[in-house]
Amino acid sequence: MSELLQFLIAGLKNGSIYALVALGFTIVYAATGAINFAQGEFFMLGGMLCVSFSGLGLPLPVAAVAAIAATAAIGGAFELLAVRPISDGDPLRIIMVTIGGAVVLRQLALHLLGPDERALEPFTQGASIKALGIAVERQTVWIWALTAVAVVALALIYRKTMFGRAMRATSIRRDAARLVGINASAMVTASFALAAALGALGGVAVAPLTQTAFSVGAGIGVKGFAAAILGGLGNPVAAVAGGLMLGLLESLAAGYLDPVYKDAVALLVLLVVLFARPQGLLGGSGRANV
Amino acid sequence: MDTRTLRALAPLLTAAVVAVLPLLVTDPFLLRVFTFAGINALVVTGLALLFSYAGQVSLGHAAFVGLGAYACAFCTVRLEWPWLLAFAASGALAALGGLVLALPSLRLKGHYLAMATLGFGLLMSLAFVEAEPVTGGVDGFGGIPFPAVGPLQIRTAASLYWLVWAMVGIALVAAFNVTSMRPGRAMRALHGSELGAQACGVDIVGVKVRTFVMSALLAGLAGALYASVVGFVSPSVFTLTASITFLAMTVVGGTSSLAGPLAAAVLLTLVQYLDALIPGIPSETAQTLQSYQEDIYGLAIVLVVAFAPGGLAGVWRRRRMGGDAS
Repeated sequence: MSELLQFLIAGLKNGSIYALVALGFTIVYAATGAINFAQGEFFMLGGMLCVSFSGLGLPLPVAAVAAIAATAAIGGAFELLAVRPISDGDPLRIIMVTIGGAVVLRQLALHLLGPDERALEPFTQGASIKALGIAVERQTVWIWALTAVAVVALALIYRKTMFGRAMRATSIRRDAARLVGINASAMVTASFALAAALGALGGVAVAPLTQTAFSVGAGIGVKGFAAAILGGLGNPVAAVAGGLMLGLLESLAAGYLDPVYKDAVALLVLLVVLFARPQGLLGGSGRANV
Repeated sequence: MDTRTLRALAPLLTAAVVAVLPLLVTDPFLLRVFTFAGINALVVTGLALLFSYAGQVSLGHAAFVGLGAYACAFCTVRLEWPWLLAFAASGALAALGGLVLALPSLRLKGHYLAMATLGFGLLMSLAFVEAEPVTGGVDGFGGIPFPAVGPLQIRTAASLYWLVWAMVGIALVAAFNVTSMRPGRAMRALHGSELGAQACGVDIVGVKVRTFVMSALLAGLAGALYASVVGFVSPSVFTLTASITFLAMTVVGGTSSLAGPLAAAVLLTLVQYLDALIPGIPSETAQTLQSYQEDIYGLAIVLVVAFAPGGLAGVWRRRRMGGDAS
């Protein structure tokens, strides 16, 4: 029983990270209709920059905020430099540019931050919290709390602020949004910055638990995308649910079968969902969106 | 000679130059480099069909090359099959892998195939290392025999070169036939407007799936050739980096063209061996170039797609049109 609980905790921990990455896919997909293949690199940049900033002597909270802000700026700049020049908005070209851009970001991290695997110190020191015969690392609690704060903040921004309404209007219909005076292309830039910030938050939060390196982006990108499509691409609530579900599936497969299968689970989920239910578990019955 | 005859003659002239090259270049290492260029060209021809004519991208083609390479190694060494049979089996296995991936992801709009292939590529890199009884794990798989057709052994640098480039020639003729006839028109229609193509009665899913399977088949055959030429297969070859390299070659080559990607595949392969081609080049320059190779590929994809989506082929076409007008 306690073994199962322990697996569930590990699953929800990884699942929260996948949820953050999946949210990033969802936001850019809503704004552009394209899949952003650099999403995983934003996760990598968050973790790597935070380790580097903290290595420069910055206190951890400052380093974390600075890493997330810097990654968001990189995300926005990425859109301005590479995606904005594609005037026809062809999703195939946007995808290609994000693939190339992902390689450039990864290589920049390699050249500037080095090839080594690096780890961050935990946000709060101390032994794991023990209750009911299970142990929860303090960092896991941080991951849950930060993910919850990010999701609630995102929901509030989208519902209550003028900026959030403008983002939603742009994703529903771009030309109509422009007709009512919304700067639609600025909203696309903002979507990349926001997606980058969410990915970076995931990267920062998980850096104390798993070592991070310049090369982790592609793998987490695929998992985040699998989570997004498991829930239903284009729906933020579904992205979070998909992330948590994927984390649980992975953790149970690794726990009860063989740890080797852990990384295979996300791909199998991806293919099975594509085969059987491409609109995702929480998507509507209509197939217009896929 | 007017441009029309020149255009008709260009493929023949190129083929002649490619065919006589081993008579002019005797250095076996250089011939090996040109052989690798041919193997890459084989993969890129398949990707060009997929990208230029069907508007799809694959981030996992190195996995198909790897499937072909390991299948060839396993069939020739462990099962002791004749080379030709192993070669065919390698292509068939890669094509089957392509079919399994393409069927679910190509039924959908958008570019799910790209993500499915990325995941497939990562999974296969993992599998090549983990499936040690079959693949030899991290240590790789050695002792793969040279190609042989019946009693005829192909083992000299020049004959391996000819074998590889003959396969490239066959692939190009097949691809040209596919693109210039009914399936090709269907593919181009698909690239222009999926809805429009569908309205004209084009079976869009069928066309996409067949294109993808053909490109996976070519990648698998290229992998089998690689395994036979080198004699050793290591999992570090079939990574995401290799897939990105193939993609960069295709994109730089350009859309709606087979000649452009072919040229790009050869040029970008030669860049990797610059120190062998230009004897005077300082080794530091070559090393720096090598460590920035992936940056160059990534940047090339971004720049070409954002600012010159026609690639090399597009530049040619524009020059030709400009020439006609003047």
